[in-house]
Formats: sequence, C-alpha cells, structure tokens
Amino acid sequence: MEPAEVEFLAEKELVTIAAQFSLDRIHLIGGDLGPFNPGLPVEVPVWLAINLKQRQKCRLIPPEWMDVGKLEEIRDQERKEDTFTPMPSPYYMELTKLLLNYASDNIPRADEIRTLVKDTWDTRMAKLRLSADSFVRQQEVHAKVDNLTLMEINTTRTFLTQALDHMYKLRTNLQPGESSHSQDF
Amino acid sequence: MAAAGGDSNGDSDSEEMLLTPAQLIHSLEQAWLNEKFAPELLESKPEIIECVVEQLDHMEANLKRAKKGDLKVSVHHMEIERIRYVLSSYLRCRLVKIEKFFPHILEKEKSRAEGEPSVLSPEEFAFAKEYMANTEAYLKNVALKHMPPNLQKMSLLKSVPKPNLDSFVFLRVLEPQENILVEPETDEQREYAISLEEGSQHLIRYRTVAPLVASGAVQLI
Amino acid sequence: MAAERAMELVRELHRAAGGHLPPFRTDVLRQALEEMRALYERNQADVSEAKSGRTDLIFLIRFRHCCLLRNQRCLLAYLYDRLLRIRALRWEYGSVLPNTIQFHMSAEEVEWFSRYKKSLATYMKSVGGEEGLDLTQDIKPPKSLYIEVRCLKDHGEFEIDDGTTILLKKNSQHFLPRWKCEQLIRQGVLEHVLS
Repeated sequence: MEPAEVEFLAEKELVTIAAQFSLDRIHLIGGDLGPFNPGLPVEVPVWLAINLKQRQKCRLIPPEWMDVGKLEEIRDQERKEDTFTPMPSPYYMELTKLLLNYASDNIPRADEIRTLVKDTWDTRMAKLRLSADSFVRQQEVHAKVDNLTLMEINTTRTFLTQALDHMYKLRTNLQPGESSHSQDF
Repeated sequence: MAAAGGDSNGDSDSEEMLLTPAQLIHSLEQAWLNEKFAPELLESKPEIIECVVEQLDHMEANLKRAKKGDLKVSVHHMEIERIRYVLSSYLRCRLVKIEKFFPHILEKEKSRAEGEPSVLSPEEFAFAKEYMANTEAYLKNVALKHMPPNLQKMSLLKSVPKPNLDSFVFLRVLEPQENILVEPETDEQREYAISLEEGSQHLIRYRTVAPLVASGAVQLI
Repeated sequence: MAAERAMELVRELHRAAGGHLPPFRTDVLRQALEEMRALYERNQADVSEAKSGRTDLIFLIRFRHCCLLRNQRCLLAYLYDRLLRIRALRWEYGSVLPNTIQFHMSAEEVEWFSRYKKSLATYMKSVGGEEGLDLTQDIKPPKSLYIEVRCLKDHGEFEIDDGTTILLKKNSQHFLPRWKCEQLIRQGVLEHVLS
C-alpha cells in the first residue's frame, strides 16, 4: 500500500473545527455533517477540515492528545515498555503530519509536538524491527500485532512478507511442473 | 452485508435496502482493503458496486441542479472524488489479479458448483475469457504452431504462476473466533490453536484465515 | 544448439529492467524455432534407429528433447513477459502508445494490444452506470487541497468542482483545487506557484 493511501484513510478521521460561516446540515453519502455556525465547534472529517482551513473558513481545534504534556507521557511510556503501547489515534503519525502542515497556527507548541510524535514513532519502529527479526529467526507462523497502526504495519509489510515468502519457498522445495510427453519414443 | 451470495439474478435490492449509504461506503472500503492485501482474487461484490454507483450517479445528478459556487456543492464534490477513487482502485486491483492469475481463476469458475457464488462478476468473467483467448491465440500464432508437433500444446494453467496462499497477511478481528489451527513452519514445531479476540490484530498465513476473510469475520489491514 | 538463442531473448528482457520494452527480436525468434525444427528432425531419425537396436542413442535423444523443452519454455516466457510489459504501458500511457514504443512491437503484439484495449474498454463501459468508469483515471488518492497557480496561456473558461466557472487568462493567478489543475499543469496551461 502506498503511504498516500494510508494518508487517504487517515483523512476520514474526525476532528473538531470552529467554522467561520453558517451552513445547514450537509447530507453526504457517508453521513451527515453540520450544521455549521460561526464560532461553534463541529466535527468534520480531516479532508474537509484541511480544505476549509486552506480556504480560511475555519479554525482547527486540535485533538485532545495533540498536546505536549500528553505526548510526553506517551513517549515516556513507549520507551519504558517492551511491547507496543496503545496510541491515542490509529493514525497518530499521519494526523500529526497533516494537521501540523495545514493548521500549525491553531496548534500550540507545534514544533515540540512534531518532535515528540517523531520520537515515539522512532521508538516504535526500533521495536518493530526487533520483533520482525525475531519472528523470522524463530520461524514463527503467527504473531499478535495489537496496537500497531496501519502506517507502522505498512512500513514493514513488503519487506517482512516477502522475506517470509522466500524462506518458505526455500524450505518447501517446490515440485517442478510436469514436462510434456517426450518425442514418440 | 453481502448476503446475496447465490442469488444470481442480480436483483438483490431488497437485501441491500438494509444498508444505509454510510454502511454501504464502509463495506466498499472493507472490500477494497481485503482485495488489496489478499493474495488471491476474492468473491466479487456486484451488489455493493451497483449501489455505490447508484449513489454517485444520484448525487451527481442532484449537484447539476444545485446552485453554482455553493460551499455545500464543493463539499459534495470532494466526497464524490473520494468514493470514486476507492471504487476505481478496488476494481483496478481486481483486474490486475484477473490478468495475473486468469488461467486459475477461469479453471475455478469452470469447476464451480451450481449455487456457489462466483468469484467473478459477469463483466469480469467476460473480460477474463477474452484475455485468455487473446493470449492463447497470440502464443499459438507467433510460436507454438511453428514448433515441432509434440510441443505445440502448452497449458497456461501450468505455466502461469498461481496466487501464493501461503503468504503472510495482517488482519484485524471483527468477530471473535476460537480454535484457529495454525500449522507449524518446521517439522520440529507442533500445530497449535489460537483464538482471535475481537479488535485484536495478527500476522498470519493467508491460507489459515482465508475463510474468515470471505465471511467478513476478519479485516485485512 | 542448447537453446542459446532462446536464452539470449530471456536474458535481454531480464536486463531491460523497469518494464522497459526492447525491440521485438523477430530474427532471433526465427532462429530459435529453426533450431527446434533441426533438433526434432534429428531426433526423429535417431528414434527409428534406436527402435531398431541402437539403444546407445537414447541418451542423445533425451538430451535433445530437453533442449527442445528449454527452447519452448524460454520462447514462451519471452513472448508472455513482453505482453505483460505492453499491458502495463496501456495503464501508463493510455490507449495510444508513443511511437518510440510502437516501433519496438511486432505486428502480432500490436494486434494483441488492440484486442486487450477493446476488452478493457468494454469492461470499463459496463461498470459505473451509464457512462462507465474510466479506471485509468483516479490512480492516486484525491487530495482536497487548493494550490496557487499561474496561467501560462489563454485557455478560456474552466469549470471548477463547485460549479463556478473562471476565466483562465494568460498571467492570471488562481487558487484552485489541486486535483482539477493537475491535467492543465501537465498540458502546460497552468504552473504551480510555489510560495
């Protein structure tokens, strides 16, 4: 899967904005949005929040977890534990990237947030490399991967599954296909 | 969702009425991700495609009548773009698999029992048959018919690689399962059973969970 | 004699990485087919000898047969792999391939390609309502983003997704949805203004 596709999925997550316009409820195929009233908080998918923000039609209210104090706790917890700790959002990495790119003026201490999320991500990727390595070495056939987010899975998917495929092929010594009949003999 | 398995007359509106448009889009996204990650071609979902297309057409027709320059209209257009992308990407992904595995898919279709759901939609079936005929005719004309008599026959079924059902996939459990038998990788290891708790995520061979993917009990991720 | 020519074809494709399509090697294909005929004829002769007692020929007959199978396998792999590359080009370039690529295709490949295009068009027309669904579009996920663009030449009226029309006049600047501009940027009508 392309990173752009993971980002596409992340854009479906809901965030709160304060609209700077009024509009009745919008009946989208995927569900209703609104009504929108100036200054009142309303939940919209990220794709719409970014679009409205770009057109200067809203102010973003950052998700609760996008906060220096909370993210420090998350980072420390991640460093302390050997396993993967639960993340505040299944798309924490993509949302951080998207919201900081397009609405950093609405997010207090944006630079610190970027660093904290990056640190957490790096810690998790280091764990992921270790567990992938031990999975392959131990010739495991099943692993629980709770709390791993899609973007994290995606960064190791191709390498890990192809490595496993190759090892499997080497072990199971595939039978060659049947050959056609020899010349009349 | 997708209860209309054996129903081949294509008129399954009554069953689809149970899905709200939002649920319908959700089913499309699930089918899309499953198709992306499954090594083999999954059962086609003609009823979902049909309903999504209907929703898109209906919305586009409404928008043509709407006031120009309206913020609302642009929001609807953005949503349509997103849904159309998922739909196109899903169908594209299926076509790629059909072109990659056509002899095996057509063989499976041939041996399908009556009443058993087809893995191909009627349109995909037509496409696969043409693709096979076109490719066979080409190889025959350019090479096979010029070869010695005992080498003029060639089985695409034996020559074109099969999907690798033993490849590993990531999944999330939607409906809990007990006693899933996991085959060992080496002779020294023993077969063992695992249970899949709702919401848990796993890395496992596709072959082990293929029936659960088909039934919708797990979602590939 | 041992399927060298057929192997040469496979090697050539293997070297042409990244889905590149090298010129079709009609001459080498013909030589390989001739080699197969020669091998077969010699085997025919030796088979009748072997039947009348020359069992020492059996090994040689077997060897030639293996060469024949290898020839068959390599030639078919060469032809089939080229079809896969041509197929991929349909998705990359659309239904009309650039001349430089067409020059590298054999007449039979062109025919295969036009049939493939036809099947694909029929399929795409049959899905997605009345007008069908062009699956070669929407390759990348849509981005609901707006970008600043400058108009490089007069293009006339242009409808954006919310139904409004704007006039694309030379040197005018606009703030437009990215997905609506991409094609015009490729065509050289608009350029992305980087702030």
